[in-house]
Amino acid sequence: MVRPVEYARRSFLHRRLAEHGAVFAEVAGAAVADHYGGVDGEAVGAAQLALADLSPLPRIGFKGRNALNWMISQGVRGLQTDNAVDVQYDGVRAARLAPSEGLVLCDLEAKSGTVARLAEAWSLESAPLCFLVPRADSHYWFAVTGTRAAEMFAKVCGVDLRPDRFAVGSVAQTSVARNNAIIIRRDMGHTLAYDILGDSASADYMWRCLLDAMAEFGGKPAGLSALRRLAAE
Amino acid sequence: MKTMTCPLNGVRNISEFVCGGEVRAMPDPATGSDAEWADYVFMENNKAGVVREWWCHTPTSFWFIAERDTVTDEILRTYPAGEVFTARRDFASKEGGS
Repeated sequence: MVRPVEYARRSFLHRRLAEHGAVFAEVAGAAVADHYGGVDGEAVGAAQLALADLSPLPRIGFKGRNALNWMISQGVRGLQTDNAVDVQYDGVRAARLAPSEGLVLCDLEAKSGTVARLAEAWSLESAPLCFLVPRADSHYWFAVTGTRAAEMFAKVCGVDLRPDRFAVGSVAQTSVARNNAIIIRRDMGHTLAYDILGDSASADYMWRCLLDAMAEFGGKPAGLSALRRLAAE
Repeated sequence: MKTMTCPLNGVRNISEFVCGGEVRAMPDPATGSDAEWADYVFMENNKAGVVREWWCHTPTSFWFIAERDTVTDEILRTYPAGEVFTARRDFASKEGGS
């Protein structure tokens, strides 16, 4: 049995997840909420509306006038358009947040070593005018999945996230429930899905906020296993 | 809700922005007098008409310039600061310091 308190890499809100009945599993050396009792039911629910915590999974950012050039020199593809995501050959996604800022999110399987490789390669000396942003420590990372996700977001966010207006790979840096957040559309299989990242100190607030907003649509927490099942469909 | 167009992020609710005051030239740190600095830091022109202002999109900390009519509160145009500030400006250090 995986106990989050025994892992250095664990969710900012692992106690809250445990209250929901989370069963944790080790993924890439971190304790991740794998399921909440029944993967089959969660996968069905996640196709409608669900909230998943991906906070323990690897991610990294870089900021500075030379940040994007350095990322490209390290083999990151794309990064040509602001507020857009480029999927890498290993399933990792790289987002250009501004002409001076990039963000890299690992795949759901967390098998790619890209994030670790970038962290290893970066140093102040080897990457002038490029500064590391420790997104895994500074930001929570949730996934909101399901056909009702855009309706739910309409209650807490001013940006139109409906699937016909907000394409896969689009990024919106905006206010969600009066908190600054980054929203990325990243469908899983045939299911509409979004990543949401924000200040880790607000992780518990945002978790409760989103669950409250999705209650009227029947939205519930889902574990990583349910998301992987959606992505494989 | 009133909206504003961020040059980086597009149309957003006005609640996502903060105003940073009018755009004007900073006194030269090496030669500026106390009176010039006091004017720069504390005084506003408060013009009735079209003004150029600094605005910040807080979710991204992106600073840009907006042209706004203070009579009608209409936002006429927004653009990146790079359109105005095209080159880095270095100031000479004050001889001897203080």
